[in-house]
Parts: sequence; structure tokens; C-alpha cells
Amino acid sequence: MIVFAAFLLTVPWTVPALINSFWVSVIAEILIWSLFAASANLLFGYVGLLSFGQALFFGFGMYGVGIGIDQLGLSFWPAFGLGIAASMAMALVAGVFAVRLTWHYFAIITVVFSLIFYFLAVSMKWLTGGDDGINFALPPTFSFGSTQWSFADPNFQYFFILATVAVCFYLMHLVIGSSLGKAFVAVRENDVRASLIGLNVYLVRLTAFVMAGFLAGVAGALFAFFGRYASASYMFYNISGEGLVWAIVGGAGTLLGPVVGTTLFIIIREVVSTHWEHHSLIVGVLAILAVILAPKGMVGLWRDALDRITASRADRSAPAKLRIES
Amino acid sequence: MSEAILRTVNLTKKFGGLTATDNLSLNLPGGRLQAIIGPNGAGKTTLFNLISGLLKPDSGRVFFRDRDITGLRPHEISRLGIKRTMQIKSVFNQLSVTENLWITRQASQRVLHPFRPASRDAATRERVDQTLEQIGMTALAHRIAGTLSYGDIAMLEIGMALISDPQLLLLDEPICGMSPAETERAVAKIRELARRIDIIIIEHDMEVVFGIADDITVLAQGAVLVTGSPDEISNNERVREAYLGRPEDEDYLEEAVNA
Repeated sequence: MIVFAAFLLTVPWTVPALINSFWVSVIAEILIWSLFAASANLLFGYVGLLSFGQALFFGFGMYGVGIGIDQLGLSFWPAFGLGIAASMAMALVAGVFAVRLTWHYFAIITVVFSLIFYFLAVSMKWLTGGDDGINFALPPTFSFGSTQWSFADPNFQYFFILATVAVCFYLMHLVIGSSLGKAFVAVRENDVRASLIGLNVYLVRLTAFVMAGFLAGVAGALFAFFGRYASASYMFYNISGEGLVWAIVGGAGTLLGPVVGTTLFIIIREVVSTHWEHHSLIVGVLAILAVILAPKGMVGLWRDALDRITASRADRSAPAKLRIES
Repeated sequence: MSEAILRTVNLTKKFGGLTATDNLSLNLPGGRLQAIIGPNGAGKTTLFNLISGLLKPDSGRVFFRDRDITGLRPHEISRLGIKRTMQIKSVFNQLSVTENLWITRQASQRVLHPFRPASRDAATRERVDQTLEQIGMTALAHRIAGTLSYGDIAMLEIGMALISDPQLLLLDEPICGMSPAETERAVAKIRELARRIDIIIIEHDMEVVFGIADDITVLAQGAVLVTGSPDEISNNERVREAYLGRPEDEDYLEEAVNA
């Protein structure tokens, strides 16, 4: 864990030295998409809602930034805020309808919302740039007098993304450990029992939905700054599906599962796609294997392995005690 | 006789052509352990579902201490202090025994704190430990609920009902599927609870019902057949008729009479 953190903090120097500087931006992209996968994971892994709509909120985050800068002439922070606010507002509107439903009905309504706004975004050329999307020039993030920091500096860009993603994961960690987080899991496990102990299941689901909208919105806004553009193609529901696959393969219902899954798949994509155009085949096979062989994802496999190691050690040191228990 | 803890007025619920609850008017006074019995399909569980808000009645009203609770949602009814267990035991299977109790206790709070660690809540921890002891499950505190025996799950469910300080407890076949030893433990627990909390119990085990109930209401085809003390019920011809063709249950009735 510490090694992992140390690595992330030194990426701008170690990675160019070890591989090349292209991978710094790949890692930045992995961080952003991890946050997106975390959004799908919050809903599926903790509240038990299979959402194919997270790309919608990612897209709203992107357009909030893109339209904010390009059309409204906002500077960095207001545009960032607009992106996040837009995605949370959209999540609230969609959630009011969607979380009344569960399972396949819920999944379908999230797809429907996604499609509606995808086609709206493509057709409203005056606002969204249609198929071409919006390209914009980046305003500086901080400026003190004549000194400016902006995403033009790759190191600043990397660290800004790292810090933002880290803060979001920390917030999610807090939420999961709180009584609200426990309520999420209670609703996932048994919604009838949850309502009988006095939880407002509808409100708990809606809260989670808006929180997930926040995570996806932050990811979308970061991605807009990172790519200097906003495009409807990221609002399509297949992007939501990818986020879900990353979260499930990495380990749904675990905090860092989405990071693991996203890292794995983006590295595969980057490495294989230069040699072979059908890299998504590998993704598909891995996803199927993970669902069949590791229902708790890679993080689940890792935990089971750790348990087995500690258990076999205990077995060797205290066989008599174990025999009594069994 | 004290005021009614629970009252239903002309309560009706139909499932398609089947009338599960038929114009049912009940008046259950508080301070006495109330049992509801009746042959299968008499509408006992449907009645509990109507009271706890899982089902909405087609017509009629439900009053909890003179407060009209008809049409309220399950969590609203739960927050008024009506807690229940389910015929098919229902806990949070993937969570530990402690976590099950923990979340149940915290669920009664109006606002769930989104950022404060749940484990920092000392009052809740104390209450959870106390409840574990009360239901005799301290040794099982860290077991995942889904791996417990059926009797222990049923006991946990009772613990979950207790930890939220209920005013009225609805127990739906609490001892169904329990071993004789577990039954004895559960019955003792229910008896002890009945001194502090108003309890309405649905139970098929006649020995248990006649042993613990102060009042018995017999339902048949969604309506009240007869209400009375255990003695009155066991001597009632109509109750015998309702159970006729069910020699097993009749045996129980006779056992209870002779006991």
C-alpha cells in the first residue's frame, strides 16, 4: 500500500526514466477512469444497483467544463464546479425516477436516460458541438500575480489529477465506514428488512445515486481538462458498461477494486492495441473469467489468498485448536 | 382493560379473486401477550404485512394507539416503534451478527451521518453488546449471519427487533424451525419481553401459544372466528371445526386442553 502510494507520488520522474513519458499520461488517465469505475462500484458494489447510466454523469461533468469555458467564458474553478454541479443535478433528476425501480428495471431506465441525453447532446450542435464536441483552451488553475500553474505543465496536470482522485477516494472511504455506508450495505443485502428497521430505502438509494453522480462528474470534469475537449461519445452507455466491468473484475464492493480493474484493462488496452486491433477480445475473456472464477474480483481473490496463507500458518502452529473448532 | 395498542377497522385485502383479509375489525388491548392463530391461509401473515406497511389495504384502517397508520410506508411505521420479525427469517446475510444489530440500531436515527466512522459511536456499541448478551449470542458476535443455524438467525431477528426499543413487537412464527432447546430459550425470552413490550405473536405450535398467550384471536378465511382466553379457545366448538380435517393441529388442541 505504501509502496503503491510512493509510486504514484513519484510517477512523473520514475515512469519516464523506466519506460517513457507517454505512460505518465496513461497513468493519469487510469486515475480518472478509476474514479469513474468507483462511481459504478458505489452503486453496484455497495447499494446493489446495476447502473448503466454513469457515463451520462461523466458526460455532464465534461460538458459542464467544456461549455463553461468555451461558451460562458468561465475560469478553471467555476468551470470545474459547473461540471460537478451539472452531473449531480442530472443524477438527482434521473435518480428520482430510477431508484424507484430495482434490478433489470433499474438498469434499463439508466440506459434509457443515457440514450436520451446522448442523442440530445449529438443533436444540440449550437451548445455541444454535436459529433465534433467542444475543443477549448485551458485556463490556468492557480495564478498568483504573474506565476501560473496550469494543465499545460504535465507534472502539474498529473499531480492535480492524483490529488483530486485521492480526495474523492478518501471521501468514499469515509462514507463507506459511516452509518450511511452501513445503510447502503443493508439496502443491498435485504431491502425489505432495511425498510422494516426504519431505513427509508428510497432516500438511501437516491443519496447513493447522487453521490455516484458526484464521483462520475468529477471524473468527467477531470477528463475534460485532461483532454481539453468534451464529447458526446463519452456519454454513450457502453462507457458505463466499461466502468462496470472494471469495477466488477477489480472487485465490486471494495474501495480499491475499481482502481485494480481499471489499471489492468487500460494497461492491456495500451499495450495490446499497438500490436493487435482486437484487444477488446482479451477484455471480454478476462471479464468472463473474472465473473465465473472470481465473483469478488481481483481484490477478493487477493483477500482469499491472504486468508488462506494466514489460515495455513495458524494451522501449522495451532493444529489442536483448529481441530476443536471443526 | 387498557387502551387498544392496535386496532383495525373493516380491513380488507384481496389478491386477485382471493380475499386474504375480509372486513377484519380487531381490537387488541395493550399489556397482554396477544396470539393470532388459524389454519394455513387464514390471513395471519397478510395481517402483519398490512400492519407493518409492506402491503396496503384495499379498504379499512389500522390504528396504532389511536394513531391512524394506514398507508404509511414500512420505515415510517418502524420509526413509530412497531417492529416485526418475518415468517421466512430475514436478516442481512452477508453481514456479521454485530453489524446486523449495529445498523438496525443506527437506522432509527433520523439522519445518518455520511462521514463520521460508524464504529466511533460508543453508545451504539454499548447497546449492541448489551443486546448480544440479552439474546445469548455474544459468542457468535463476529459470525456472518448467513452462516448461522436457523434458530440463531431467528434469535438474531428478535435481537434486531429489540435493539431499536420497540413499543409493539410483531412476531411471525418466531419458533418455526427451531430445535426443542432453541424453542425453550426463545419462549422464555418472549415471555420475559412480554412484561415490558406489547407483543402480538403468530404461531403454529399450539403448545407454545397456549402456554404463553394471554389472549388468543383465531382467524379463518381472513376474518375473526373467535377471540378469548386460552381456556375459552380450547373449548370452543367453532375453533375445532375450523381446524377439523387437520388431525395434527387437533391433537395439539387436545394436548393443550389436557395440559
